[in-house]
Amino acid sequence: MKKEILFRDIDKKSIVWFENSNQYIVLEKKAAQILKELHVGIPINDIAQNLVSELDVPIKNIERFISDLEKNILLPNTNQGVVKQKEYTNLTPPAKFEFSKYYDINGIVFKIDFSNELELSLVHPKFAHLEVLQQEKFDHYYQVFNDDSSTFLYADKVFIGAWSYNEIHYFQGKLSMQIVQSLHQKPEKDWLGVFHASAVSDGTNGMLFLGDSGNGKSTSLALLQANGFHCIADDFVPVSAMTQDIFSFPAAISIKKNSLDVLLPLYPELKSSAEYHFTRLNKIVRFLPPKNDKAINQVPCIGFVFIKYDKNIEFEITKISNIDAFENLIPDSWLSPIIENVDAFLNWYSDIPCYKITYSNNDKMISEVSKLFTDVI
Amino acid sequence: MKKNIKNNQEITRKEALKKIGDYGKYTALTALGTYILLHPKKAQADSPEDPGTDF
Repeated sequence: MKKEILFRDIDKKSIVWFENSNQYIVLEKKAAQILKELHVGIPINDIAQNLVSELDVPIKNIERFISDLEKNILLPNTNQGVVKQKEYTNLTPPAKFEFSKYYDINGIVFKIDFSNELELSLVHPKFAHLEVLQQEKFDHYYQVFNDDSSTFLYADKVFIGAWSYNEIHYFQGKLSMQIVQSLHQKPEKDWLGVFHASAVSDGTNGMLFLGDSGNGKSTSLALLQANGFHCIADDFVPVSAMTQDIFSFPAAISIKKNSLDVLLPLYPELKSSAEYHFTRLNKIVRFLPPKNDKAINQVPCIGFVFIKYDKNIEFEITKISNIDAFENLIPDSWLSPIIENVDAFLNWYSDIPCYKITYSNNDKMISEVSKLFTDVI
Repeated sequence: MKKNIKNNQEITRKEALKKIGDYGKYTALTALGTYILLHPKKAQADSPEDPGTDF
């Protein structure tokens, strides 16, 4: 079956998505048009002929260009390669687990068994605020265990996957995704994507705050939720395919040590909360429960905000193009590879305004974010 | 929008621009063949964090 390609113009560029590779390419509109013609089978010399007068370039050079476009972009992304799945021996979950934890998330009880302390440490700190005492009845049962080289995940007795240690963030992501699916009763195919962002709501609408690690994204979220905003999700933000709403995910907010001075007056409980040393990343964090008083389950997204703390800049807000934002958004996101979902994603994304905020004045940041929620509508 | 919102400005991290080829004096083709390739994450992922030892 021929794999599909989607084309979408955003701002002055075109975005092309390839079903076969689930890759996005940002390129000139004219180049996207040529790709489209190649994809439907128009011969290279016919396409070139139509471009001679427009480009004022000899036809043989245009033909070479189109041929390069086909060879370097179209064919690598449309030829189906055989993807080798790593095979795991038939490893069944052990009879006994060292740790059993129970979490109550919005009235749904999850039991998670861990075979050792390492696995427990990969999951529990982010959900410790939701821990409840042992329950006789639970809604979902996950098992986490490892052999010498991989961590295995079973959900409700079904094998979900196995990951080596250097891919452990994918294990954590898959477990988070299982929780999201159970919590909101939507299978993976009903999700548009999961964004590496903080989702903030004013009670009615939501915005996604994005930024590289170390830019102060979680600190900004903690400041905002101490000032009347609600935390819908941090670090792992699911968006539904059908309505394109942001959905809640109540994992705790990871607070770095260097943010404590700013946050302790607002969150005295951080003083006594457990400190985790992530040696490989050279970072020390504590976990802050998300504040979502109204138990908001889903909100529409009305803006993307790239946020950065910079001690030299009091406050600056800039509207940025969706194409510039796109280049930063995609590599940090999981996006559904299902064509209908990609189509919905591109439609949704192209209509949402994008901003960049750089700040060091916390009060100013909070008041301007409040204004942004009002102004965008 | 409010007046303190400025016009478009570059944001920090960008994928490297790639070129399909160099077409010498035909700069229109070189420009037309400049693109950015973006890979979403292959699966859902948390921020990469290792569990460390001191907890």
